[in-house]
Amino acid sequence: MTKSSGAEVKTRGHILIDDVVKVYDPEGAAVMAVDHCSLEIEAGEICMIVGPSGCGKTTLLNAIAGFHEITSGRILLDGEVLCSAQKPKAEPGPDRIVVFQNGALFPWKTNLENVVFGPVMQGRMTKAEALDRGRAMMADAGLAGVEHNYPGEVSSGMRRRVEIVRALMNDPAVLLLDEPYRALDSLTKSVMHEALLEIYYKNKVTIFFITHDLEEAIFLGHRVAIMTTRPCKPKKLLTVDIPHPRDYSVLTSKRFRELMQETSEAVHEEARKAFQAGEKEG
Amino acid sequence: MKVLADEAKVASAALREAAPFRDLPEGLIERIAAMARTVRLAPDERVYAAGQSADSLYVVVSGRIDHVFKREVGAREAMKRIGPGGVFGWAGLLLGQTGRLATANATEPSVLLSIPTEELVKLLESDPVEGKAAMDRFGRMIQTEFTMPSLLAQVRRLSGTPMTEEMSRLSLTMYRISVWMKSPRPYLMLIGFALFLGSWYLSVEVLKLPRFKDMPGLTTVVKEWLSPNPTYGLSIYTPEYYQHIWVSVWRVTQAFLLATALGVPLGLLLGWSPRFKEYVFPVFEMLRPIPILAWVPLAIVMFIATESAVIFLAFLASFFATALNTMLGVQSIDDSYVRAANCLGAKRWQVFRHVIIPGALPFIFTGLQISIGVCWFSLVAAEMVSGQFGLGYVINTSYVMVRYPTIIIGMVTLGLVGYATSALVRLAGDYLMQWRVRELALSEG
Amino acid sequence: MARSRHISGRAIWRGMLSIVIFLVLWEIGSRSKIWLAWDVFSPLREVLGAAGFKKTYLPWIGSVPPPSSVAKAWMGVIGQAGYWQSWYMSFQRVLGGFVAAMLIGIPYGLMLAVSRTAHGINFPVFEALRPIPPLAWVPASIIFWPTQELAIMFITFLGAFYTIVINVVGGAKSIDGRFFQAAQSMGASKWDIFKRIVLPGTLPSIMVGSAVGMGITWEVVVAAEMISGGGSQMGGSGGGLGFFIWNSYVGGSYEQIVVGMISIGIAGYLSSELLRSLGTYVTPWLRVR
Repeated sequence: MTKSSGAEVKTRGHILIDDVVKVYDPEGAAVMAVDHCSLEIEAGEICMIVGPSGCGKTTLLNAIAGFHEITSGRILLDGEVLCSAQKPKAEPGPDRIVVFQNGALFPWKTNLENVVFGPVMQGRMTKAEALDRGRAMMADAGLAGVEHNYPGEVSSGMRRRVEIVRALMNDPAVLLLDEPYRALDSLTKSVMHEALLEIYYKNKVTIFFITHDLEEAIFLGHRVAIMTTRPCKPKKLLTVDIPHPRDYSVLTSKRFRELMQETSEAVHEEARKAFQAGEKEG
Repeated sequence: MKVLADEAKVASAALREAAPFRDLPEGLIERIAAMARTVRLAPDERVYAAGQSADSLYVVVSGRIDHVFKREVGAREAMKRIGPGGVFGWAGLLLGQTGRLATANATEPSVLLSIPTEELVKLLESDPVEGKAAMDRFGRMIQTEFTMPSLLAQVRRLSGTPMTEEMSRLSLTMYRISVWMKSPRPYLMLIGFALFLGSWYLSVEVLKLPRFKDMPGLTTVVKEWLSPNPTYGLSIYTPEYYQHIWVSVWRVTQAFLLATALGVPLGLLLGWSPRFKEYVFPVFEMLRPIPILAWVPLAIVMFIATESAVIFLAFLASFFATALNTMLGVQSIDDSYVRAANCLGAKRWQVFRHVIIPGALPFIFTGLQISIGVCWFSLVAAEMVSGQFGLGYVINTSYVMVRYPTIIIGMVTLGLVGYATSALVRLAGDYLMQWRVRELALSEG
Repeated sequence: MARSRHISGRAIWRGMLSIVIFLVLWEIGSRSKIWLAWDVFSPLREVLGAAGFKKTYLPWIGSVPPPSSVAKAWMGVIGQAGYWQSWYMSFQRVLGGFVAAMLIGIPYGLMLAVSRTAHGINFPVFEALRPIPPLAWVPASIIFWPTQELAIMFITFLGAFYTIVINVVGGAKSIDGRFFQAAQSMGASKWDIFKRIVLPGTLPSIMVGSAVGMGITWEVVVAAEMISGGGSQMGGSGGGLGFFIWNSYVGGSYEQIVVGMISIGIAGYLSSELLRSLGTYVTPWLRVR
């Protein structure tokens, strides 16, 4: 079910984060990680969440994914309540798939087996159908030829791409990316960015992307939400009006530089605050 | 010069995406990038044809290449599609190979890096550690990605005749051995053993040092062990020797298999279900600190037949070790894997089967190696205290009957047999976890 | 697989519940001579008979003394000096052997880790001898050492020695190479590096190795006490908890066997815990987790 690129309007994947509060209680001292955070993400939008380390943005992602509870407020996906004060923890599911920071491809399965894991587990397709579709999607992403290798045998850039294909095989409404390119060097990163955009243009999922790299955020996103340091709350919202499709020449364009100028002061301020507070990696 | 510098940068980045070059040190990558040439191709443009001179290999930066082997080559997958990060055209690396083994065409607009093979090999040879590692990786890459059962990358300097399958495997082994021989390791090992055996011989038989002279001497033991008519009745020629070995091995096998069959599931449950752990673990931890040998009299009381008592004791030790290590293994599995599986819609039992069990397998096998050691430990002790037959029994009775050389024979046999069983467990683990063997091999180079 | 830091109150209740259930089942099982004779259980008796077991009591568990009798025996034994003397003797042997293993094993392991030549010479022999279980050395040890006490201590030493050396070597190898590079770039001498990087870096593995080695030491002590004190006609010093157990068995006092077992379990657990706290004391930087 590969969507044709371009003109199709996305109707799934609208996220509403409504006044969410998350308070941790480690060792008795209440620590507020997320402070009355509200954010609305349109269906099919690439929304970049930028903030210093440990500010609580991963907590938000985990709440959407269903790994953590929230204390109050609600999160809705396409009008349905994912979690709220009455139901603090969402159910993890294939409509919101996470791509993890250090990668979570199963090392004991080949790349292709990883890719077809979702549909096979859910029983949505027969094994044969899943394998066909998996091979096609991998080829689309430039991964033909490594189907029968194990993740440990290919480069980390390739692993990220396989993981994204694994997610997309389930036709998710939302892709949740938690600093997926953090561990890659900048040259590989720029190649990965173009690869991600290419995949996005073919599939148009909503992308909720956490990063601390402002350049990455402005290059990829439709909108950038700059978060305060802990407790986390949107400090500044920026709409990136550079048109899609984008390629790396955008990085040196005048508009890009202007947007960087507008936002870098806000980001830097929060980074300084976090540094002084001695934030550890969450 | 700026243009060339940028090209070199792109080349370096592309090289790092390619499996054989990925983990090479910076300096080496930059020098390879410097000798590379960028080639741009239009769709349907030919890269090379089979039989042409194989003077360079290619790394794909972008685009797609169709690669078709000659039928004579006998590759399992004759046609291969190669995308960004792929490496092909490595025929020139093979010893005695001068012509292309396949035909390669671009199917899309493509950008390739062309690296002259002669220069590359010279560069890799200049760095004995990293270069050799890279050549090994080529070999493995060729085997896995190109599914060619016979051909392996060769380091030049061996014979110049064209290869057959046996020759290539043999010459790679010879190369490996020659590298090992050049290192000091085997000589140090020989020195170590010589020192050990030498001091044993000297202190007992030549110098007759005070406490040592009552011990059985090296020559006495060796003569006894290898004698067709041993003074004390046990040597490699006597059937009793093998009977004792068999009895001990059979007991260990029973105990170990039973302990694994019960211990692994218990450990998996303890690690997987917090509720189960809350109920069961306290009782488990209460029984575990009791030394296995403290169970001996109770075991004799419980199991009237000493055979079962002995096996029970070995089983118990092995069981605790296996269950504990399995539980720790499950707990060590990275949360992300379970979370990813949940995201992808797996139900609880599916997570257990597809994530927990394979994820814990490496830890389980480490535990099993410990467990079989513990099993032998307990078995020997139990045999020494009670029971008939078996190597522990041999050692004990040889002492009581003043047949000292046989004690040493028993000990050495125990060591050998114990090592063999432990190696078996490790091999079983390697077989079940192909993915790990390959991953480890690639990371060590 | 998040491990919860605190053990919840609910978990404690559950644990205690299972221990109680365990004790109850044990009590019932070991008293089977009484209730198996009741008419109600005649089919069970038939099954046992068909399986080849005796029909008057449950197999295995039926021969074990019940917890109530064990508790009673324990109360009786606590007042006897001989019991506490056994504790003392076993602890003495464990400590002696263990300290010797640490004193020799740690420097030996460090030497192997630091010098490639030493490693190349020693390690193959070390690995070749390792599969031989320590108890297999008992007869050789008795022949060699003049007193039985020394013989037992040697075996105890062997048991712990291997574990400690392996852990030290492994720990030293796993020290991140960058620490060495950082130290060298700051101008540290080889001795400095050893003192400030290798030693503290290996410390965690040493502590882990000793905790495991301690467990093995207890195993060996008990076995050695049973074998040399009980098995042969060696007079002289015997004693210790292993001997206590063997003696109880020979004397037919089965409750005391179990008392001895539990005592050793407690003793072993105490010594391991002591080591563990010593370990955390010595490596404060790991406590932050």
